[in-house]
Amino acid sequence: MSADIKNDGDPKPSSAEATVSLPATGIAIVERKEPPPEKESDTRRRSWIVLSFWLIAVFIGLPIWWNTTTIYRANLPLTQMTDWADGKACEPVFPLRIALDVGSLPEQEAQNLLRLTQHALDDLNDFSGHHLRLQLAQAPTEATTQVRDDSNVALTIRLAPGDAAHTASSSLHPHLPILDVQYPPNSLPTANSPSSGLATYIATQLGSTFAEEQNIISYLLETSSITPEHRPKGISQEVVDTVSKRMTRSLKYSQTYHLTFSLFTNGPVPSSWDIEAAIDEYMKPVLDMLKTIHDFTIDTQVQLYASPGVQSHVLGKEDLSSFINAAEWPLSPSIGGAPTVNFIVYIGNQTIGVPSETDAAETSQSWMIPQWGSVYLLAPPPAEAAHVSSETLKQPILTFTSHLLTLLGTPQSGSVPLRLSTLARIRSADLLLRASSSLGSLARLTLALPSISIPSNVANGVVKTIHHLELACASLGGAKSLEHARIAEHEAERAFFEKSMVGQLYFPDEHKIAVYLPLLGPIGVPLVMGLLNEIKAWKTRRSQKLKAA
Amino acid sequence: MKLPLALLLAPLLTLVAGLHTSNWAVLVGTSRFWFNYRHLANVLSMYRTVKRLGIPDSQIILMLPDDMACNPRNAFPGTVYSNSDRAVDLYGDNIEVDYRGYEVTVENFIRLLTDRVGEEMPRSKRLLTDDRSNIFVYMTGHGGNEFLKFQDAEEIGAPDLADAFEQMWEKKRYHEILFMIDTCQANTMYSKLYSPNIIATGSSELDQSSYSHHADNDVGVAVIDRYTYYNLEFLESEVRDTSSKKTIGDLFDSYSYEKIHSHAGVRYDLFKGGADAARSRLLTDFFGNVQNVEIDGTRNTTMIDDELISLSKTIARLSELAREEELAAAKNNSDAKPVPRKVQVTKPLSDDNWFTKKLVGATALAGCVALWGLGSYLEI
Repeated sequence: MSADIKNDGDPKPSSAEATVSLPATGIAIVERKEPPPEKESDTRRRSWIVLSFWLIAVFIGLPIWWNTTTIYRANLPLTQMTDWADGKACEPVFPLRIALDVGSLPEQEAQNLLRLTQHALDDLNDFSGHHLRLQLAQAPTEATTQVRDDSNVALTIRLAPGDAAHTASSSLHPHLPILDVQYPPNSLPTANSPSSGLATYIATQLGSTFAEEQNIISYLLETSSITPEHRPKGISQEVVDTVSKRMTRSLKYSQTYHLTFSLFTNGPVPSSWDIEAAIDEYMKPVLDMLKTIHDFTIDTQVQLYASPGVQSHVLGKEDLSSFINAAEWPLSPSIGGAPTVNFIVYIGNQTIGVPSETDAAETSQSWMIPQWGSVYLLAPPPAEAAHVSSETLKQPILTFTSHLLTLLGTPQSGSVPLRLSTLARIRSADLLLRASSSLGSLARLTLALPSISIPSNVANGVVKTIHHLELACASLGGAKSLEHARIAEHEAERAFFEKSMVGQLYFPDEHKIAVYLPLLGPIGVPLVMGLLNEIKAWKTRRSQKLKAA
Repeated sequence: MKLPLALLLAPLLTLVAGLHTSNWAVLVGTSRFWFNYRHLANVLSMYRTVKRLGIPDSQIILMLPDDMACNPRNAFPGTVYSNSDRAVDLYGDNIEVDYRGYEVTVENFIRLLTDRVGEEMPRSKRLLTDDRSNIFVYMTGHGGNEFLKFQDAEEIGAPDLADAFEQMWEKKRYHEILFMIDTCQANTMYSKLYSPNIIATGSSELDQSSYSHHADNDVGVAVIDRYTYYNLEFLESEVRDTSSKKTIGDLFDSYSYEKIHSHAGVRYDLFKGGADAARSRLLTDFFGNVQNVEIDGTRNTTMIDDELISLSKTIARLSELAREEELAAAKNNSDAKPVPRKVQVTKPLSDDNWFTKKLVGATALAGCVALWGLGSYLEI
């Protein structure tokens, strides 16, 4: 049998066949015909082809793959963000300006009193975050008639000489942030005296007026992630506990709240109520007053034959928490985008049976649910009246009003205007700290999850947040700080909750191989084999050249 | 200075210290199709339990990928049962499914946990928790080593879940979490968690299957899984209402290999205070809605409130006056300096080099015309 001389096959197997067949047939060795030698130009062309494929793969393919698969991560000012979160960027200091309106006192004596009182104040106050700074009222005559709340003065002390026989006394003005102090004329400090009874008295009064605010702000700083050296010291555990309880039950800050008033009755009547008039009469004034801090939207509903979650006639403390029939009462939170505060009037035969400390005979009719709202149990109207009048609703709505103030986190002591301005300051501190901690969370998240994408609007949000935080920090205690803190918090939340910063972050290696193998197999094998062949050919050529030499 | 404050806050001290103020439940079934009836029944049974214990629908996120009640193969249309005695119709007439069908995806689940949702998402479909919320997360479906399959199309990995919880912790979106999962090799799903204050439990170890409890011959498929069944049995018999004092430890101790046919796992190490603290948590801390209500004192507060109302009226009036005054002042100012009325016309932002610009424009136009003329001339 002759050797296979076809050109299209691989020569090796056929030559092996030829050698195998050799002893069997005994025919003399046939000269094996080799293919004509490759032309030099063909070899060179093949090298170019392999090279160009490699060039394309490396210089076009790889960059495209790299560009399309890398995750876009905008540059975030990480150190700045962590500084804010650690409280290094802003020392939360509330300089409260207190104006001292001395009335008819001569300038010299007034200055003297001011200096002594400031000394006494500084001695009393060990918390650097909350300064009380005294100043003389600018235009004493005008200030007595009207005090504008747009100035940065938190409180005005109005001094008036009183009865010489009595000791100094003070009272908070109910409508304006004014502390009226009556002093016996002889208690005024002389020019050189190192201390004065009146100055100490004023300082103590101021201290107790702002004590609650101070405690709340210290608590906020304490619970935030701010580093210990900026933290205030010396608030007792007891105070921390009470304040923490109060902060726990108050609602998270929102510019707008939605108030839902619901009337649930256990029978067919009453089926209507004069809620609009009642709200206008008993709640609207307070809402108007709060307008500078919050907006409110209101809706009402009536549901008949509503059965509560607990059927027993006398409700114990345990029953109260399951009284709301969450499954059947339409207390949906999904009205608008604002958080809902629920106020429920329930007309039925149930009473609260919790023994009170003061008077066992009298029982309470309402209770408050932290961060949620409150419930008022109303006795059924006589004679099956179908309508609940606004007078009947007076007590419930008034109760709801005071509950609302508590839920909003309004401080409980002091006169109303002071409580309001304190609320604004507490809220701005709260928002400031919350925005800072959001920044810190985002910074830590960026470092912890290297495969999460960070779009550029997150970076924008962060920059905006920091800008407004700076403004808020600079104006702390002033009127603008709440506004800036609010924007900062909003932007920080938006940056953190950026919609596109999600997706499956983790792909196991098996998945990656499964994705790339079908792609890389058909492309990679010819590429690598071509390269290997070229290298082999180059080596052969070199050894031949060496041999020839 | 401390004294008046202490007096002032004294009435508050009598209140019960509130650790958490709201309870949320995230109940996720991840499998479709009729033969996975039991997974949907698992989820709905859990839904019924948490609702029975007082968590309102607005605080339950229910994810059901398929609608067994309306499946054409269902011999009892409109119902779902988790027991062959068919005593309780889980579908009932009052269930609120938040994510259904093809909305149940890994992405939506992670979005839900991390609250990275668009503006259009209604509040009822969001997990609006804060640092005072306890969350009960229950998942069931088909899973494997460190993954849980969603709808035969995709899967969530244990690291993804861990990262989602970490993001929640970073943003203070929970107080404590009870994570419960009923799937094959379930314990691997919580092995990667690393955020604090999570108690985790699963139905089966690595390389162990999680089995169904029993089948209903009329329904034709298994109706509930063993692990979920015994959890529910405990909750139904021992936790009758929110006043129950049974703890997490009691529930976990009730698991046994004889009942579940796999080794149920628990993980305490992430929890602050370790196993002891975790085990002593009440079941109603997670399955129920315990609100620390504050009862008003019996003192007659009407007087004070009346005063408050009249006060706030005065204050509102004062601030209104101040605002009006300001407005008037602003008006006076504007009156003093009457601003000449201008008609807005379009005009260039700057008048510099007006002539040069015109010249350049004219030259360019002339050049173009010349080129066109030259072209047509050459063409001829």
